[in-house]
Amino acid sequence: MRKALGVLALMAVALAAGCGTKIGPGFDDKEVNLGLFVSTSGEIATFGEDTKKGVELAIEEINAAGGIKGKKIKLTHYDTASKPEEGKAAATKLATQDGVFVAMGAVASGISLAAAPEFQKYGIPMISPSSTNPTVTEQGNYIFRICYLDDFQGAACAVFAMNDLKAKKAAILQNQDDAYSTGLADFFEARFKKAGGTVVAKESYKKGTTDFNTQVTNIKAKSPDVVFLPCYYNDAALIAQQCRAQGLNVPLLGGDGWESDKLVPNAKGALEGCYFGNHYAEADENARVKAFVEAYRKKYGNAPSSLAALGYDVVYVVKKAIEDAGEFDRAKVRDALAKLKGFEGVTGKFDIDERRDARKSISMLKIEGEKFKFVRQINPSEVE
Amino acid sequence: MQLLLESGDFLARLLQQCANGVAKGSVYALVAVGYTMVYGVLQLINFAHSDVYMLGAYFSYYPARWLGYMPDGAEKPKVPLYVLGLAFAFAVTACACTGMLIERLAYRPLRNASRLAALITAIGVSIFLQNAGQMVFTSEVKSFPRYVDQTSVPLGPIAVANTSLIIVVVAALMVGGLHLFVQRTRTGAAMRACSHDMRTARLMGVNVNATISLTFAIGSAMAAVGGMLIAMDQPRLTPTMGLLMGLKAFVAAVLGGIGSIPGAALGGLLLGVAESVVGTWNTTYADAVAFVALIVVLLVKPSGILGKAGREKV
Repeated sequence: MRKALGVLALMAVALAAGCGTKIGPGFDDKEVNLGLFVSTSGEIATFGEDTKKGVELAIEEINAAGGIKGKKIKLTHYDTASKPEEGKAAATKLATQDGVFVAMGAVASGISLAAAPEFQKYGIPMISPSSTNPTVTEQGNYIFRICYLDDFQGAACAVFAMNDLKAKKAAILQNQDDAYSTGLADFFEARFKKAGGTVVAKESYKKGTTDFNTQVTNIKAKSPDVVFLPCYYNDAALIAQQCRAQGLNVPLLGGDGWESDKLVPNAKGALEGCYFGNHYAEADENARVKAFVEAYRKKYGNAPSSLAALGYDVVYVVKKAIEDAGEFDRAKVRDALAKLKGFEGVTGKFDIDERRDARKSISMLKIEGEKFKFVRQINPSEVE
Repeated sequence: MQLLLESGDFLARLLQQCANGVAKGSVYALVAVGYTMVYGVLQLINFAHSDVYMLGAYFSYYPARWLGYMPDGAEKPKVPLYVLGLAFAFAVTACACTGMLIERLAYRPLRNASRLAALITAIGVSIFLQNAGQMVFTSEVKSFPRYVDQTSVPLGPIAVANTSLIIVVVAALMVGGLHLFVQRTRTGAAMRACSHDMRTARLMGVNVNATISLTFAIGSAMAAVGGMLIAMDQPRLTPTMGLLMGLKAFVAAVLGGIGSIPGAALGGLLLGVAESVVGTWNTTYADAVAFVALIVVLLVKPSGILGKAGREKV
């Protein structure tokens, strides 16, 4: 009987230990350990590489200035190889093996969604720099993001078309096989109609299409004032050329999927004078942005992409939250993140709202030669 | 009718769609010729043909890249005419050799095997080429050098890209030339003889192996030209770009009457125009049209529009 009790007791202890795997505090006297999980290999490797560069630049700056509350930042990074299952594996490792204090990542929404439940389980705040899918932050109260969402982006483009381009009639050409594209198209359409405009044509194409002439002819027949292209830069360049070849010369408008140093070379001039919305503008005259662009160019030799800018901002958000919390305590840092207001980053000034998403502005850019010229920012208050 | 009322210049729109369709159909025709020639001679559907088309696009990309006309990230310089000629010659030669090599290594050993074995080998070669393409060219989307700067050419009430015009003219010349070659030359006569009855042709002193090699070389060269023309007009290169094109071109060949070169040309044009015109109402169903057309033709005239009935050898 006593023996049986002893076994039971042992089992209970083992069970308790299993339930609440002890994770490290994530800091010691000298250092605070921050986790990063982005894809530096696979098909979206360039996005991850840029994010990591931005993160490393910010850490270098913060450490040179004395760290966060006297502690230097130590970065632990795992490559998620553009695969959701690798995102989950990286999250488990960062939580249980490294016991990071706060985790930063991922870029792709699919990977963030796979990793989020792990961090939520261990009570480690996770901040995604650039996952735009609305469901990411619905995974739990420890999950945050610092980029805008597709609903805002689509609506902001509609407001821009209406107010700045003075368009009354808009046409949309969407990729019917891509949720990013159809999502943006729907949000644009709804907001444009709400503002009193008409969507005269809404055409679709299949993934991998290279001949858009049929759709362009249909759009041209409706003589729109602007054509909204919610797609990535490869499609945008081809569609623009085919529009111009058929003599459809109205401005084309797009979202953050257009950002690429290949956009202008691939379009061969067909996108001259067109517009797209992005997370930040390299040409922004803001002193903070200028300093960031200069520092980034000095360290890496090229201009930062918006992913690099978001990576840079996410580290400063962590720093601000720890300073607001006043001590190295994950629950208190989570509370500070949830209450973050008026954070000024290189991707604009933003608040964290009740859904743990960033409420921030979008930068509208105009394509002029090889450059993306900053036009203006659109604030959430203008769109709602 | 409703469209007629809501849009005053419906005719212009229809005309524009026909022009779009002719450009699209010309490339179908160029690729379909390759399917039709090989089928005519060997009764083999050469599934690897669409991947030779893909190779044609890549082979015409690399010469300009090697000569520095595709700098990374920077504005691309205009490519001089001699480089265009070089790229054309390279793509055509390399694809013709690839075509002959495929025949020599994959199909000739199976010449007397069952037709099913050859067919499955053809699928295997296609998968091999696609995957080799992924490894060598990487799956990253590639743009195309500035061989020709795209401009808009107004044609009465409509406008087309100069590259689309180039497609139509080059395709017409190539297919027309090929037709004359097959009908008017001794080599052409040998090809027709092989197509009609290979054993008798051999008895008459026709070098059957050489003729079959030549058939593959010519078909592959046509596909290479198609790949290069499409890349000029729609500069987006991927190792799987041949997939849908191959399917459409095969449908075009069957539609026109497989084994007939004018049939392939006609089938390609019909398919292209039908897709574009249907796209006036609904672009989502445009691809389905290709396959509905195929089914209808096979039901009504199984040998295709210009195909001759009763040529089938069992």
